[in-house]
Amino acid sequence: MSLEGAHSPSAIPGARFMDPVVLARIGNLELVARAVCDGFINGLHKAPYFGASVDFAEHRGYVPGDDVRRMDWRLWARTDRYYIKEYEAETNMNFSVLLDVSKSMDYGSRGVTKLDYARMLTACLTNLVHHQRDRVGFVAFDSEVVEHVPPSAKHMDTILHVLDRLEAGRPGGRMRGPLHRVAEHFGRRGVLVVISDFYEDPEEIVDAVTPLRFRGNDLVVFHVLDPAELEFGFSDAQAFEDLESGEQMPVVPDSMRKEYLSLVNAHIHALQQRFSEVRVDYTVLDTSKPLDHALYRYLGSREKRTRIR
Amino acid sequence: MSFLAPLFFVGLAALAIPVLIHLIQREKKQILRFPSLMFVQRVPYKSTQRRRIHNWLLLLLRLAALTLVVLAFSRPFFSTQEPPIPGTGDREVVVLLDQSYSIGYGDRWERARAAANEVINGLGPTERGSVVLFASGAEIALRSAAGSDRAQLSAAVAAATLSSSATRYAPALKVAGSILAESSLPRREVVLISDFQRGGWRGEEGTRLPEGTTLTPVAITGGAEAANVAVTAASLLRSTFSGQERVAVTAVAVNRSTRSLTGGQLTLEVGGRPLESKPLDVEGGGSTSVAFAPFTVADAYTRGTVRASADALEADNAFNFVVSPSQPVRVVVVDRGGAGSAGLYLTRALAIGDAPRFEVTVRQVDVLSDDDLRRAAVVLINDVAVSAALGRRLARYVEAGGGLFLTLGTRATWAQDVDLLPAALGAPVDRTRGEAARVGALEYGHPVFEPFRAARSGDFSAVRFFGYRAVEPEASAQVLARFDGGSPALLERRFGAGRVLLWSSSLDIAGSDFPLKPVFLPFIHRIVRHLSGYAEPAPWSTVGQVLDASFGDEGSELIGGVMVTPSGRQVSFDEEGSEVFELAEQGFYELRSPSGDGVAAVIASNVDSTESDLTAMDPQELVAAARAGADQARAGGTSQPLPPDVQERSQRLWWYLLLLGIVVLGADTLLSNRLSKS
Repeated sequence: MSLEGAHSPSAIPGARFMDPVVLARIGNLELVARAVCDGFINGLHKAPYFGASVDFAEHRGYVPGDDVRRMDWRLWARTDRYYIKEYEAETNMNFSVLLDVSKSMDYGSRGVTKLDYARMLTACLTNLVHHQRDRVGFVAFDSEVVEHVPPSAKHMDTILHVLDRLEAGRPGGRMRGPLHRVAEHFGRRGVLVVISDFYEDPEEIVDAVTPLRFRGNDLVVFHVLDPAELEFGFSDAQAFEDLESGEQMPVVPDSMRKEYLSLVNAHIHALQQRFSEVRVDYTVLDTSKPLDHALYRYLGSREKRTRIR
Repeated sequence: MSFLAPLFFVGLAALAIPVLIHLIQREKKQILRFPSLMFVQRVPYKSTQRRRIHNWLLLLLRLAALTLVVLAFSRPFFSTQEPPIPGTGDREVVVLLDQSYSIGYGDRWERARAAANEVINGLGPTERGSVVLFASGAEIALRSAAGSDRAQLSAAVAAATLSSSATRYAPALKVAGSILAESSLPRREVVLISDFQRGGWRGEEGTRLPEGTTLTPVAITGGAEAANVAVTAASLLRSTFSGQERVAVTAVAVNRSTRSLTGGQLTLEVGGRPLESKPLDVEGGGSTSVAFAPFTVADAYTRGTVRASADALEADNAFNFVVSPSQPVRVVVVDRGGAGSAGLYLTRALAIGDAPRFEVTVRQVDVLSDDDLRRAAVVLINDVAVSAALGRRLARYVEAGGGLFLTLGTRATWAQDVDLLPAALGAPVDRTRGEAARVGALEYGHPVFEPFRAARSGDFSAVRFFGYRAVEPEASAQVLARFDGGSPALLERRFGAGRVLLWSSSLDIAGSDFPLKPVFLPFIHRIVRHLSGYAEPAPWSTVGQVLDASFGDEGSELIGGVMVTPSGRQVSFDEEGSEVFELAEQGFYELRSPSGDGVAAVIASNVDSTESDLTAMDPQELVAAARAGADQARAGGTSQPLPPDVQERSQRLWWYLLLLGIVVLGADTLLSNRLSKS
């Protein structure tokens, strides 16, 4: 299995970039996921474990307690030392998506809300992983954990069902609480994907997210933003109402656009910086861009990481 | 253009409201929901950018509407009518001539009359004039005579004499106002000729002259700068000397001028003859009192006068009074007699006292005659059993105007069928054991207890009562005092023309220690004075005072009699005649009985001593007060008020302004609706 050229979209036969607005009209998340993922190859990633497999990985020195059956007797014969032969394990992996469903996600300036977009992204990712026979799980959270579907090979339908019913209802508080609580449940190493709009201080976000890595999980963070948030293309002076707190304030966009954009960019930059420091994949997703694009960005980055390791 | 209610311009401050609405409220109309204001809030607030008015037309419409409404309420008017030229047309002149006694000072009266004549001579042939003489009241000497008939007006002035009354400007101005109100002439004028004494003006309200009236004060001041002494009061101290009553007179003389008086004389005249003269020296602005030797009062209505020597103002030099030998109050004390002298304390208490004297007769219950009752002003029934026959006689006596006082010891009884007492008698209450009873609540408003109202004026609570009678008050009775248990102690009932007082305990030392307390004597005196209706006869009255139907002693009623005034005029009162009589002259009034032979009463009448104070006021104060409310713009001249329809026409503008304001508001509504839809 190779990902050679995966980050070059043209190399993938059948890969097409569909407008998220068009996708949203499909309604059925399963169909969406299929439509997007059709053409992607199964088994794009390796298992995170070394174990019994056909692909040799490396030798390591014997320590008491190792299985003597895995001893490389040939090497012992040549070197008179005990070595254990290790192989790449191609095991079933746990894959969970942690989706922020706070009120701020229920915003969309161009037909698709951030939540819709995140929902489709989740469906696509789980669909992709499920076809690899990996276990899929799902967590929705705002200030608390709203939905929790434990990772299982049979939970694909459940996740699609839960995703379908999801609504952004409550204002989100600090992510730290629900994420820390959820982190305890991911006992087995796997891949965790966090999707949110991250309206919080970068330090606090990193502080909330990093515990998910503690058990050796691979962590991928998607920062979903609407183009209106990224460009601030308003012209009339009007009162802005915070979706979460309901607070209102008069805003003259023309006069503050520059400052706003610099603040948003600084926020994204800070997140990039901090996540790279803690070895977390971080990707900003614009809801006006096709989903495939996001998937390629993700899978490409995954590939790079795998190689490095 | 002027405004009737310029204060409404304060309402223009409301113009700020639409401006603020346009600056602030506009942005709240469209609300944009945004995921998070986290970054927006971090951008510094730029207020100047925000304050931009977008709908200038709407704002201007609103401002215009508000301004129009405020203008309408401030009632603008155009004085299109030319103001009438002052000083044209015929005059209606009212001459107010002061005839109070103070204007007799020096040559002021002559000057005042001369001033009045001058005004009369200034009248044109088609003008009209009135002469009003005033002092404490006002009298129209001649009303609205034609200017061609000046002689008549001058004759009215010439016939005027000085009165003995004090100055009061308000009645005069009212009379002048009523004369002018009826006048049809275009110009109205009041000429007030007076010495403008400060005491005559108290800032009375309601003395406004008709609008457009000119009040011209003519002040008659100065003249004789001589000392002016007034005898303002006299005190009469009675004493008894060898069985005869004597009166010592002390007079108070006040020098009202700034110049000292030396070498004057103060003479006491009794019965028209000088009795004693004393030298009188008073510094300027000072006063002195002069005591004369006592003289014997032998006859009733002895006339006395304290007279100071002649000075610039004669009227206030004499002070008259009338004294009569004091009449005792006849009291009959009905007692059970015998050994126990129950009435001892009562009789002893009544034996003391000069004003009035009490003439006490003690009778036993069975020897009380009708003659005793006829002569008695008050009957005191002191703890005796009263038979039904006696009760009925007493009821007749009280009904005819007598006073009855009953004390209830243990022996007192009263016939049930005689309805006279203020309460039904009950059983005796014994308080010899335990705490003695005390008088708790007193009706200090009642004449009996009125002198005890002030603090330390008699302590009734110190009196201990060892027994009293329980009584049940009648409906018409008034409880004047109660014991501490709430049981009535003193009750009063009016019965016919008389009164009955009931004391529910005894007045001897067996039942209480009341007779031993200091309050006992004044209490008994007040009781008897109240029941007898005794009133101190006033030795003098003041000019202007009004006598009612009965005054002085019994039988001196006005009806049917003839009053002889000090000037010798006789005023008779027939049966249906007037029941009041006003003292107008200084001296002695004599009321003669209907038969014409005897003198029923004599009243000494004195001038009001405050009038002798010649301190003058600023005539302009009076002018301003009388003209208050009139249009100040017309104060200088005489102008006719505009007719109501002309006034209305000149003020009609506010209607149009209000209408225009409403139209603009309507346009504003339409425009704002259209804008909000778009």
